[in-house]
Amino acid sequence: MSAIHANAMPDERRVDRRSPQPGRTPARIIRIPERVRNALGFFPFLAPVHLLLLSIIVIPAFYVGWLSLNTSSFGQAPVYVGLANYVKVLADPAFREALINTGIIVVVAVHLELAVALGMALLFAGGLPGRRFLLVAVLAPYAISEVTAVAMWRFLFDPDIGPVTMALRALHLPILEWSYVPSHGLLIIALLTIWLHLPFTFVILYAARLAIPGEFYEAAKVDGATTLQSFRRVTLPLLGPAMLIALLFRYIFAFRLFSEVWLMTQGGPARSTEVVAVYLYQEAFRFNAFGTAAATAWIMVLISLLLAAGYVLILRRQGGAHAH
Amino acid sequence: MPIERLLAMGGRLVAVALILIWSLFPIAFVLMSSLKPAKDIFAAPPKFIFEPTMRHYLELIAKWGGFFDGLLNSFIVTVGATMLAVVTSVAAGYIYSRHSGRFLNASAVFLIVVRLIPPIAITLPLFPVVNWLRLNDTHLVLILLYATFFVSLGTLLMRTFIDQVPRELDEAALIDGASRFTIMRSIILPIVAPGILAVSVFVVVFAWNEFLFAFVFTATRAKTAPLVISEMIGSIDGVDWGILFAAATVQLVPVLLFVAFMHRYLVAGLTAGATKG
Repeated sequence: MSAIHANAMPDERRVDRRSPQPGRTPARIIRIPERVRNALGFFPFLAPVHLLLLSIIVIPAFYVGWLSLNTSSFGQAPVYVGLANYVKVLADPAFREALINTGIIVVVAVHLELAVALGMALLFAGGLPGRRFLLVAVLAPYAISEVTAVAMWRFLFDPDIGPVTMALRALHLPILEWSYVPSHGLLIIALLTIWLHLPFTFVILYAARLAIPGEFYEAAKVDGATTLQSFRRVTLPLLGPAMLIALLFRYIFAFRLFSEVWLMTQGGPARSTEVVAVYLYQEAFRFNAFGTAAATAWIMVLISLLLAAGYVLILRRQGGAHAH
Repeated sequence: MPIERLLAMGGRLVAVALILIWSLFPIAFVLMSSLKPAKDIFAAPPKFIFEPTMRHYLELIAKWGGFFDGLLNSFIVTVGATMLAVVTSVAAGYIYSRHSGRFLNASAVFLIVVRLIPPIAITLPLFPVVNWLRLNDTHLVLILLYATFFVSLGTLLMRTFIDQVPRELDEAALIDGASRFTIMRSIILPIVAPGILAVSVFVVVFAWNEFLFAFVFTATRAKTAPLVISEMIGSIDGVDWGILFAAATVQLVPVLLFVAFMHRYLVAGLTAGATKG
């Protein structure tokens, strides 16, 4: 592209470079306002990403919002019903059970996972022999498909022949009857989801811990702080933002849990281990009730957005430790 | 105080052992069981020394030919989704890194918000549209879905990585009359290769393993490997664990090696992604 200047600029090589102005392209022959020219220049770069997001996520999300206000099914003309679908969903005992189950799994799995990840991050930061190998070992479950993970879990915890079940029996501990005791089913799904996602939470906390300058700990030592005190006064406050980020991500991802539950228990026995995403799937693809399924979808979107909004508020109150 | 130090050391060793067992035992168990004779798979206590056999793999080839079609589908979809996500993310990330303005900042927030929408919520409205476009059971529908769910993370990651490239480089090129495309291709791309690898790791792992979208949008022709494995789990006449473990091994070994080799980029990507929203 040649740079022909319409405005008075005697020699473009003598442009003032002491204060570089990003985004200032040399003016073209026609004087187009800078902003418009920039927008035109940006378009081919930004369009692909935004086109994908709009056509595959955003517009369908609004379309599902519109569907939730109508009653319809495959091949039926939609009829406007207002909030009737939401009333129906919120009154459905199966939905309430699914919501409670989701809540239980999220609260148990995410907090347990965060505690273990924090312990591991501190252990790793304290210096371990063969740290590189250990890091790869800890990351390994990240590479495993939920489907494969469910297959292993179903075998390891098989009530009759599972190696873990046998080990528990040998130690005279209670075994997990996950295929017909709902609470055991939820527990095994929580364990499975921790196994799959612990690498993610661990890496975030570990990276944050490594970013804390060593001088802080030396200063604490000089001041005569015990290990516990330096943990409470240095580590915890500085890891706070990273812990919040890990928590938010994990809340949102655990809340959309589908595959683990679907493949492990199919939501059974008798819909007792369903989670919200499984309830949505059943409504949509099994009972063809698009209206209630769409209402469930919007309830999921809203809860996810509320979680994120709460997180932003907490960060603001803390004085915004991380710029976004 | 040697006693205390010994205790601390011992505690550390126990913790490390527990971490290793927790992370690796289930995976190792699948790999081992796929090579065990059928009678040893169910042995109690589990056998760690056995006569390895390839029988389950031969049976997998004989009875589940569809699994290898599934692997090929998974491969096509993974490569397609990764390329699409990387190319679009680099282009957008470059603009977000080099320019700012009210519109750009607002659309960066939009990128973060979009990630909060649960995938299952959009399967429902997309289902009739995908059918109407005759895209159901095609590689293309999965490629589009997988790439789309990672372009927002990809864009933000690429922005973080491109931020580290000195602006003076593209300033100088701009003044010499180079176009944005030229600058991106010849200056930015070579420097931000680690960022591209980081984005690739996320998309590859996700696309290779994903279940929900494949379950909803494919049936026979474009069925991916995880879907075939899920059919093995749910087969009516009981699970043939030997074949299932063989299939799981074939599915997980490539991506496990990939993550092991690329773990540095994975950590870099997670770190950058977490701190930049």
